[in-house]
Amino acid sequence: MNDGPVSTFQFLGLTFSTANIVSASVVFVLVVALVYFTSRHLAMKPTSGQNFLEWLIDFTNGILKGSIPAKEIGGFGLYGFTLFIFLFLSNELGLFINLALPNGATIVRSPTSDPVTTLTFSLMTLMLAQFAGVSKLGYKAHFGNYLKPFKVWIVISIFEEFTNFLTLGLRIFGVIFSGEMLLGIIWKLAVSHGIATMIVAVPLEMAWQGFSAFLGAIQAFVFVTLSSVYISQKLEIEE
Amino acid sequence: MLSHLVIGSGLYFGDSIFYVVCFLLLMWIVKVLAWKPVTKMMQDRADKISNDIDSAENSRNEAADLVQKRQAALASSRSEAQTIVNDAKTNGQQQREQIVTQAQTDAQTLKQNAQKDIEQERQDALVNARNDVADLSIEIASKIIQRELKADDQKALIDSYIEGLGKQHES
Repeated sequence: MNDGPVSTFQFLGLTFSTANIVSASVVFVLVVALVYFTSRHLAMKPTSGQNFLEWLIDFTNGILKGSIPAKEIGGFGLYGFTLFIFLFLSNELGLFINLALPNGATIVRSPTSDPVTTLTFSLMTLMLAQFAGVSKLGYKAHFGNYLKPFKVWIVISIFEEFTNFLTLGLRIFGVIFSGEMLLGIIWKLAVSHGIATMIVAVPLEMAWQGFSAFLGAIQAFVFVTLSSVYISQKLEIEE
Repeated sequence: MLSHLVIGSGLYFGDSIFYVVCFLLLMWIVKVLAWKPVTKMMQDRADKISNDIDSAENSRNEAADLVQKRQAALASSRSEAQTIVNDAKTNGQQQREQIVTQAQTDAQTLKQNAQKDIEQERQDALVNARNDVADLSIEIASKIIQRELKADDQKALIDSYIEGLGKQHES
């Protein structure tokens, strides 16, 4: 949640948000731990951890195969896989761990409840799409796509890129941010009038937490799906 | 609430860079730790399964071939056995005939020999009897004429007599 004072610090002339840095580091460690502990003792006959990991890889590959032709997936598989685990764990992190400094500034929360994070990932996806388009079609064919079906269309094409960037990033931000905000509001309600409100609010909080966990998974899925759609659009020449 | 996002009031662009670096690093770690080995393992498994399917197909074909060969061998051995039995039958038949013929010839020979022997015996007996009769006649004659006769002198006479006797007897 971002409704308290924001703890920031300056480094090399850039402004950093402490909460984002710490949360991202936590997610980073969690992802590394996840893939490390599930990828030990790989065997032809998979055991529990390997089963899970292979299921996850199949799952994200399945998302990508939905829009990108199978022979062109290549490195996007790794991108989609990493993106999915990172976003999923980011979405879920804030639901279970929400720490604040004594002055009220949050220090650990969902990294994705900050638009800077989500727009960074959104931008990264669109840059990757541009890169993929250029590397597959060449500059001429790639940028020629913006002039189709007729030259004036370039206005709409560029505008579309911009809206893609915003909607991709802000969709996940909105869901996660509102989820965490509502959790905070329900908690304030719980502690506002003692035991009576606590009894009402705690089941509500649990229900909303469960729903948010579900939404977090859906949003990670949607983000990867839309990423693959945007990338696939750049891989083909428009008629 | 989102006041910090308003342009100019300290938007933390640094985070974006941090996230990008973090994500790229994470992608690399995931690639080294899990992605490469696991996808390789999955590919290996897929290859192994397709190989197994192929080799199973081959084994099945080989087994079918083998069955065909075995059946052919069985049929040929059966016909061979038939030939052997037939040969044996023919041989047996031939041998039987040979033995029977041999036995018949032997019996014929034996019979002829026996007949020859009998003839011989008869001749001998006849000669003996002739000699005895000659001696007896001479003795009788010498008794009758009371004089010593030389057997040899008279022999021709007696022989001719007996010849005539034999002829008389035979006819």
